[in-house]
Amino acid sequence: MQVNIKIRRYNPEKQAKAWWGEYTLQDCSRTDSVLDVLHRVKWEIDGTLALRRSCAHGVCGSDAMRINGANSLACKMLISRLGKEGADSINIQVEPILGLPVLKDLIVDMEPFMEHYRSVLPYFINDEPAPADGRERLQSQADREKFDDTTKCILCAACTTSCPSYWANGKYVGPAAIVNAHRFIFDSRDEAAESRLNVVGDTFGVWRCRTIFNCTNACPREIEVTKAIAEVKVALATGKV
Amino acid sequence: MATTISNTDSRTIRNVRVKANFERTAFMFMRSSGIILVILAVGHVMLQLIFNNVHYLSVEFVAEQWSSWGWKVYDMALLVFALTHGINGFRNVLEDYIHNRGAMKVINILLVIFLVVSIVWAGYAIASADPAAMDAAALGQ
Repeated sequence: MQVNIKIRRYNPEKQAKAWWGEYTLQDCSRTDSVLDVLHRVKWEIDGTLALRRSCAHGVCGSDAMRINGANSLACKMLISRLGKEGADSINIQVEPILGLPVLKDLIVDMEPFMEHYRSVLPYFINDEPAPADGRERLQSQADREKFDDTTKCILCAACTTSCPSYWANGKYVGPAAIVNAHRFIFDSRDEAAESRLNVVGDTFGVWRCRTIFNCTNACPREIEVTKAIAEVKVALATGKV
Repeated sequence: MATTISNTDSRTIRNVRVKANFERTAFMFMRSSGIILVILAVGHVMLQLIFNNVHYLSVEFVAEQWSSWGWKVYDMALLVFALTHGINGFRNVLEDYIHNRGAMKVINILLVIFLVVSIVWAGYAIASADPAAMDAAALGQ
Protein backbone atom coordinates (compact mmCIF):
# COMPACT_ATOMS: atom_id res chain seq x y z
CA MET A 1 0.00 0.00 0.00
CA GLN A 2 1.21 3.50 -0.83
CA VAL A 3 1.03 6.31 1.71
CA ASN A 4 1.25 9.95 0.68
CA ILE A 5 2.00 11.93 3.80
CA LYS A 6 2.09 15.71 4.20
CA ILE A 7 3.88 16.87 7.33
CA ARG A 8 3.90 20.41 8.70
CA ARG A 9 7.60 21.19 9.02
CA TYR A 10 9.18 24.05 10.98
CA ASN A 11 12.77 24.76 11.86
CA PRO A 12 13.29 28.30 13.19
CA GLU A 13 17.08 27.92 12.87
CA LYS A 14 16.75 27.59 9.10
CA GLN A 15 13.49 29.17 8.02
CA ALA A 16 11.15 31.52 9.84
CA LYS A 17 8.03 30.15 8.14
CA ALA A 18 6.53 26.70 8.48
CA TRP A 19 6.20 24.62 5.31
CA TRP A 20 4.65 21.37 4.13
CA GLY A 21 6.94 18.40 3.57
CA GLU A 22 5.42 15.83 1.20
CA TYR A 23 6.63 12.23 1.23
CA THR A 24 5.58 9.03 -0.49
CA LEU A 25 6.11 5.63 1.06
CA GLN A 26 5.63 2.24 -0.58
CA ASP A 27 4.88 -1.16 0.95
CA CYS A 28 3.04 0.16 3.97
CA SER A 29 0.78 -2.29 5.79
CA ARG A 30 -2.82 -1.57 6.74
CA THR A 31 -1.87 -2.38 10.31
CA ASP A 32 0.81 0.33 10.41
CA SER A 33 0.14 3.27 12.68
CA VAL A 34 0.77 6.89 11.74
CA LEU A 35 3.77 6.73 14.08
CA ASP A 36 5.18 3.81 12.02
CA VAL A 37 4.83 5.95 8.90
CA LEU A 38 6.50 8.95 10.58
CA HIS A 39 9.34 6.66 11.69
CA ARG A 40 9.84 5.52 8.12
CA VAL A 41 9.94 9.14 6.92
CA LYS A 42 12.50 9.99 9.60
CA TRP A 43 14.62 6.86 9.22
CA GLU A 44 14.44 6.36 5.44
CA ILE A 45 13.85 9.79 3.87
CA ASP A 46 14.60 12.79 6.10
CA GLY A 47 16.42 12.33 9.39
CA THR A 48 15.85 15.97 10.35
CA LEU A 49 12.14 15.35 11.05
CA ALA A 50 11.53 16.04 14.74
CA LEU A 51 8.76 14.37 16.75
CA ARG A 52 8.15 13.16 20.28
CA ARG A 53 7.34 9.53 20.99
CA SER A 54 8.15 7.04 23.67
CA CYS A 55 6.13 3.91 24.43
CA ALA A 56 4.36 3.76 21.03
CA HIS A 57 1.44 1.96 22.68
CA GLY A 58 -0.92 4.77 23.69
CA VAL A 59 0.22 4.92 27.29
CA CYS A 60 2.86 7.63 27.59
CA GLY A 61 0.95 10.33 25.69
CA SER A 62 4.04 11.77 23.95
CA ASP A 63 2.88 11.69 20.35
CA ALA A 64 -0.37 13.64 20.30
CA MET A 65 -0.68 15.39 16.95
CA ARG A 66 -3.26 16.69 14.52
CA ILE A 67 -3.87 13.93 11.98
CA ASN A 68 -6.14 14.72 9.04
CA GLY A 69 -7.52 17.65 11.00
CA ALA A 70 -8.31 15.87 14.29
CA ASN A 71 -6.16 15.33 17.36
CA SER A 72 -5.08 11.82 18.25
CA LEU A 73 -2.04 9.82 19.25
CA ALA A 74 0.07 8.87 16.23
CA CYS A 75 0.80 5.47 17.76
CA LYS A 76 -2.89 4.61 18.23
CA MET A 77 -4.12 5.85 14.85
CA LEU A 78 -3.89 3.07 12.23
CA ILE A 79 -3.41 4.32 8.69
CA SER A 80 -6.23 2.02 7.53
CA ARG A 81 -8.65 4.26 9.47
CA LEU A 82 -7.59 7.27 7.40
CA GLY A 83 -8.36 5.86 3.95
CA LYS A 84 -11.24 4.23 2.16
CA GLU A 85 -11.80 0.50 2.63
CA GLY A 86 -9.67 -1.47 0.14
CA ALA A 87 -7.86 1.64 -1.18
CA ASP A 88 -4.37 1.14 -2.62
CA SER A 89 -3.11 4.49 -1.43
CA ILE A 90 -3.84 6.67 1.57
CA ASN A 91 -3.35 10.40 1.98
CA ILE A 92 -2.37 11.57 5.44
CA GLN A 93 -1.80 15.09 6.75
CA VAL A 94 0.05 15.55 10.02
CA GLU A 95 0.48 18.82 11.95
CA PRO A 96 1.60 19.71 15.45
CA ILE A 97 -1.21 20.13 18.00
CA LEU A 98 -2.71 23.63 17.92
CA GLY A 99 -2.64 26.30 20.60
CA LEU A 100 0.88 25.64 21.90
CA PRO A 101 4.08 27.23 20.53
CA VAL A 102 5.81 24.99 17.96
CA LEU A 103 9.49 24.39 18.75
CA LYS A 104 10.39 22.26 15.73
CA ASP A 105 8.30 20.24 13.27
CA LEU A 106 5.82 18.22 15.35
CA ILE A 107 7.29 19.18 18.72
CA VAL A 108 5.43 21.83 20.72
CA ASP A 109 6.33 23.61 23.95
CA MET A 110 4.20 21.82 26.57
CA GLU A 111 5.04 24.31 29.33
CA PRO A 112 1.85 26.47 29.03
CA PHE A 113 -0.18 23.23 29.22
CA MET A 114 1.79 21.98 32.25
CA GLU A 115 1.43 25.37 33.95
CA HIS A 116 -2.36 25.03 33.80
CA TYR A 117 -2.06 21.43 34.99
CA ARG A 118 0.02 22.44 38.02
CA SER A 119 -2.43 25.27 38.88
CA VAL A 120 -5.18 22.77 39.86
CA LEU A 121 -3.00 21.06 42.52
CA PRO A 122 -3.07 17.67 40.79
CA TYR A 123 -1.98 15.60 43.77
CA PHE A 124 -3.57 14.06 46.85
CA ILE A 125 -3.95 16.48 49.78
CA ASN A 126 -4.98 15.27 53.23
CA ASP A 127 -3.15 16.49 56.31
CA GLU A 128 -5.20 14.36 58.71
CA PRO A 129 -3.28 11.52 60.36
CA ALA A 130 -3.61 8.14 58.67
CA PRO A 131 -6.31 5.77 60.05
CA ALA A 132 -5.60 3.84 63.26
CA ASP A 133 -4.44 0.73 61.43
CA GLY A 134 -1.91 2.98 59.73
CA ARG A 135 -2.42 1.46 56.31
CA GLU A 136 -4.81 3.20 53.97
CA ARG A 137 -7.72 5.62 53.75
CA LEU A 138 -10.61 3.50 52.55
CA GLN A 139 -13.56 4.59 50.46
CA SER A 140 -16.63 2.82 49.12
CA GLN A 141 -16.80 1.51 45.57
CA ALA A 142 -19.47 4.13 44.83
CA ASP A 143 -17.15 6.91 46.01
CA ARG A 144 -14.28 5.53 43.90
CA GLU A 145 -16.52 5.26 40.88
CA LYS A 146 -17.24 9.02 40.92
CA PHE A 147 -13.77 9.90 39.63
CA ASP A 148 -12.83 6.60 37.98
CA ASP A 149 -13.00 7.98 34.45
CA THR A 150 -10.72 10.94 35.11
CA THR A 151 -7.93 8.79 36.60
CA LYS A 152 -7.19 7.61 33.06
CA CYS A 153 -5.66 10.89 31.82
CA ILE A 154 -2.13 10.53 30.37
CA LEU A 155 -1.53 14.29 29.85
CA CYS A 156 -1.09 13.99 26.10
CA ALA A 157 -2.80 17.42 25.63
CA ALA A 158 -4.98 16.10 22.78
CA CYS A 159 -8.09 17.43 24.53
CA THR A 160 -6.83 20.87 25.49
CA THR A 161 -5.30 21.53 22.06
CA SER A 162 -8.49 20.46 20.27
CA CYS A 163 -10.56 22.97 22.23
CA PRO A 164 -11.58 26.11 20.29
CA SER A 165 -11.96 28.01 23.57
CA TYR A 166 -8.31 27.22 24.35
CA TRP A 167 -7.23 28.23 20.84
CA ALA A 168 -9.09 31.51 21.35
CA ASN A 169 -7.53 32.23 24.72
CA GLY A 170 -4.55 30.38 26.18
CA LYS A 171 -5.39 31.65 29.67
CA TYR A 172 -8.27 29.14 29.82
CA VAL A 173 -7.05 26.29 32.07
CA GLY A 174 -8.28 23.82 29.48
CA PRO A 175 -9.97 20.41 29.55
CA ALA A 176 -6.95 18.40 30.73
CA ALA A 177 -6.39 20.56 33.81
CA ILE A 178 -10.11 20.36 34.67
CA VAL A 179 -10.08 16.58 34.21
CA ASN A 180 -7.17 16.32 36.64
CA ALA A 181 -8.88 18.69 39.08
CA HIS A 182 -12.01 16.51 38.81
CA ARG A 183 -9.97 13.43 39.71
CA PHE A 184 -9.18 14.93 43.14
CA ILE A 185 -12.23 17.17 43.72
CA PHE A 186 -14.51 14.12 43.76
CA ASP A 187 -12.14 11.91 45.75
CA SER A 188 -13.83 11.51 49.17
CA ARG A 189 -10.39 11.05 50.81
CA ASP A 190 -9.00 14.35 49.55
CA GLU A 191 -9.40 17.60 51.52
CA ALA A 192 -8.50 20.31 49.01
CA ALA A 193 -11.63 20.33 46.83
CA GLU A 194 -12.30 23.97 47.77
CA SER A 195 -8.85 25.15 46.66
CA ARG A 196 -9.19 23.36 43.33
CA LEU A 197 -12.75 24.60 42.78
CA ASN A 198 -11.54 28.15 43.34
CA VAL A 199 -8.99 27.67 40.55
CA VAL A 200 -11.33 26.03 38.04
CA GLY A 201 -14.21 28.31 39.06
CA ASP A 202 -12.23 31.43 38.22
CA THR A 203 -12.86 33.61 35.15
CA PHE A 204 -10.59 31.44 33.00
CA GLY A 205 -11.85 28.16 34.43
CA VAL A 206 -14.76 25.90 33.51
CA TRP A 207 -16.98 28.80 32.43
CA ARG A 208 -14.91 29.05 29.23
CA CYS A 209 -16.12 25.59 28.21
CA ARG A 210 -18.76 25.90 25.48
CA THR A 211 -19.55 22.14 25.44
CA ILE A 212 -18.19 21.74 21.93
CA PHE A 213 -17.17 18.10 22.68
CA ASN A 214 -13.92 18.26 20.64
CA CYS A 215 -12.07 17.22 23.82
CA THR A 216 -14.23 14.12 24.30
CA ASN A 217 -13.73 13.15 20.66
CA ALA A 218 -9.97 13.71 20.84
CA CYS A 219 -9.23 11.85 24.06
CA PRO A 220 -7.24 8.69 23.22
CA ARG A 221 -8.25 7.20 26.59
CA GLU A 222 -11.93 7.77 25.86
CA ILE A 223 -12.42 9.90 28.96
CA GLU A 224 -15.78 11.69 28.90
CA VAL A 225 -14.05 15.04 29.24
CA THR A 226 -17.04 17.32 28.59
CA LYS A 227 -19.08 15.34 31.13
CA ALA A 228 -16.32 15.75 33.73
CA ILE A 229 -16.24 19.51 33.07
CA ALA A 230 -20.04 19.62 33.46
CA GLU A 231 -19.78 17.78 36.80
CA VAL A 232 -17.28 20.38 38.02
CA LYS A 233 -19.68 23.15 36.90
CA VAL A 234 -22.48 21.48 38.89
CA ALA A 235 -20.19 21.23 41.94
CA LEU A 236 -19.43 24.96 41.62
CA ALA A 237 -23.12 25.80 41.24
CA THR A 238 -24.37 23.64 44.13
CA GLY A 239 -21.37 23.64 46.49
CA LYS A 240 -21.60 19.85 46.79
CA VAL A 241 -19.01 17.28 45.72
CA MET B 1 -6.64 -5.98 61.19
CA ALA B 2 -7.59 -3.73 58.33
CA THR B 3 -10.79 -1.68 58.48
CA THR B 4 -13.36 -2.60 55.86
CA ILE B 5 -16.16 -0.58 54.38
CA SER B 6 -19.33 -2.57 54.87
CA ASN B 7 -21.54 -0.61 52.48
CA THR B 8 -19.85 -0.46 49.10
CA ASP B 9 -22.73 1.58 47.65
CA SER B 10 -22.50 4.40 50.18
CA ARG B 11 -21.83 7.66 48.41
CA THR B 12 -20.23 10.52 50.32
CA ILE B 13 -21.58 13.99 49.60
CA ARG B 14 -19.49 16.80 51.01
CA ASN B 15 -20.36 20.48 51.21
CA VAL B 16 -17.74 22.89 49.97
CA ARG B 17 -17.58 26.65 50.17
CA VAL B 18 -17.34 28.06 46.68
CA LYS B 19 -16.31 31.66 46.10
CA ALA B 20 -18.94 33.61 44.20
CA ASN B 21 -17.75 35.48 41.14
CA PHE B 22 -19.33 37.18 38.16
CA GLU B 23 -18.71 34.31 35.72
CA ARG B 24 -20.37 31.79 38.06
CA THR B 25 -23.39 34.08 38.49
CA ALA B 26 -23.52 34.67 34.73
CA PHE B 27 -23.36 30.90 34.09
CA MET B 28 -26.22 30.24 36.53
CA PHE B 29 -28.24 33.07 34.96
CA MET B 30 -27.70 31.67 31.45
CA ARG B 31 -28.95 28.22 32.53
CA SER B 32 -31.99 29.47 34.42
CA SER B 33 -32.92 32.16 31.88
CA GLY B 34 -32.51 29.55 29.13
CA ILE B 35 -35.17 27.37 30.74
CA ILE B 36 -37.45 30.38 31.36
CA LEU B 37 -36.98 31.52 27.74
CA VAL B 38 -37.92 28.11 26.36
CA ILE B 39 -41.23 28.36 28.22
CA LEU B 40 -41.82 32.03 27.34
CA ALA B 41 -40.71 31.80 23.70
CA VAL B 42 -42.55 28.54 22.97
CA GLY B 43 -45.64 29.99 24.67
CA HIS B 44 -45.31 33.12 22.53
CA VAL B 45 -44.95 31.15 19.30
CA MET B 46 -47.87 28.85 20.17
CA LEU B 47 -50.08 31.81 20.96
CA GLN B 48 -49.15 33.91 17.92
CA LEU B 49 -48.93 31.23 15.26
CA ILE B 50 -50.95 28.24 16.39
CA PHE B 51 -53.79 29.26 18.74
CA ASN B 52 -54.21 32.51 16.82
CA ASN B 53 -54.24 32.00 13.06
CA VAL B 54 -51.20 33.74 11.60
CA HIS B 55 -53.44 35.45 9.01
CA TYR B 56 -55.20 37.32 11.81
CA LEU B 57 -52.00 38.44 13.48
CA SER B 58 -52.47 42.18 13.44
CA VAL B 59 -52.07 45.36 15.48
CA GLU B 60 -55.65 44.82 16.71
CA PHE B 61 -54.64 41.43 18.09
CA VAL B 62 -51.65 42.93 19.92
CA ALA B 63 -53.83 45.81 21.18
CA GLU B 64 -56.33 43.30 22.56
CA GLN B 65 -53.53 41.33 24.18
CA TRP B 66 -51.94 44.42 25.75
CA SER B 67 -55.22 45.51 27.22
CA SER B 68 -54.37 42.98 29.92
CA TRP B 69 -51.49 43.67 32.32
CA GLY B 70 -50.82 39.93 32.50
CA TRP B 71 -49.77 39.83 28.83
CA LYS B 72 -47.81 43.05 29.22
CA VAL B 73 -45.81 41.46 32.03
CA TYR B 74 -45.38 38.30 29.93
CA ASP B 75 -43.96 40.28 27.00
CA MET B 76 -41.75 42.38 29.27
CA ALA B 77 -40.36 39.21 30.86
CA LEU B 78 -39.63 37.88 27.37
CA LEU B 79 -37.91 41.17 26.53
CA VAL B 80 -35.75 41.24 29.69
CA PHE B 81 -34.67 37.60 29.62
CA ALA B 82 -34.09 37.40 25.86
CA LEU B 83 -32.02 40.60 25.74
CA THR B 84 -29.96 39.83 28.85
CA HIS B 85 -29.38 36.22 27.77
CA GLY B 86 -28.42 37.28 24.25
CA ILE B 87 -26.13 40.13 25.30
CA ASN B 88 -24.32 37.92 27.82
CA GLY B 89 -23.84 35.26 25.14
CA PHE B 90 -22.48 37.92 22.81
CA ARG B 91 -20.09 39.08 25.56
CA ASN B 92 -18.82 35.50 25.91
CA VAL B 93 -18.15 35.27 22.18
CA LEU B 94 -16.36 38.63 22.14
CA GLU B 95 -14.20 37.65 25.13
CA ASP B 96 -12.96 34.64 23.18
CA TYR B 97 -11.52 36.91 20.52
CA ILE B 98 -10.70 40.22 22.22
CA HIS B 99 -7.86 39.74 24.69
CA ASN B 100 -7.09 43.39 25.34
CA ARG B 101 -8.51 44.03 28.82
CA GLY B 102 -9.01 47.77 28.23
CA ALA B 103 -10.90 47.20 24.98
CA MET B 104 -13.05 44.52 26.59
CA LYS B 105 -13.87 46.84 29.49
CA VAL B 106 -15.08 49.53 27.08
CA ILE B 107 -17.11 46.95 25.12
CA ASN B 108 -18.68 45.62 28.33
CA ILE B 109 -19.72 49.14 29.36
CA LEU B 110 -21.25 49.72 25.90
CA LEU B 111 -23.09 46.38 26.10
CA VAL B 112 -24.53 47.26 29.52
CA ILE B 113 -25.65 50.68 28.24
CA PHE B 114 -27.25 49.05 25.18
CA LEU B 115 -28.96 46.47 27.38
CA VAL B 116 -30.34 48.97 29.89
CA VAL B 117 -31.48 51.47 27.24
CA SER B 118 -33.16 48.74 25.18
CA ILE B 119 -34.98 47.27 28.16
CA VAL B 120 -36.12 50.66 29.49
CA TRP B 121 -37.16 51.91 26.04
CA ALA B 122 -39.02 48.77 24.94
CA GLY B 123 -40.36 48.16 28.46
CA TYR B 124 -41.78 51.70 28.52
CA ALA B 125 -43.34 51.14 25.08
CA ILE B 126 -45.10 47.98 26.29
CA ALA B 127 -46.13 49.42 29.65
CA SER B 128 -47.52 52.63 28.19
CA ALA B 129 -49.22 51.01 25.18
CA ASP B 130 -52.77 52.30 24.82
CA PRO B 131 -54.93 49.61 23.16
CA ALA B 132 -57.56 52.15 22.07
CA ALA B 133 -54.95 54.33 20.36
CA MET B 134 -53.41 51.26 18.72
CA ASP B 135 -56.78 50.20 17.36
CA ALA B 136 -57.43 53.72 16.06
CA ALA B 137 -54.00 53.83 14.41
CA ALA B 138 -54.64 50.45 12.80
CA LEU B 139 -57.89 51.77 11.34
CA GLY B 140 -56.11 54.88 10.06
CA GLN B 141 -58.06 57.28 12.30
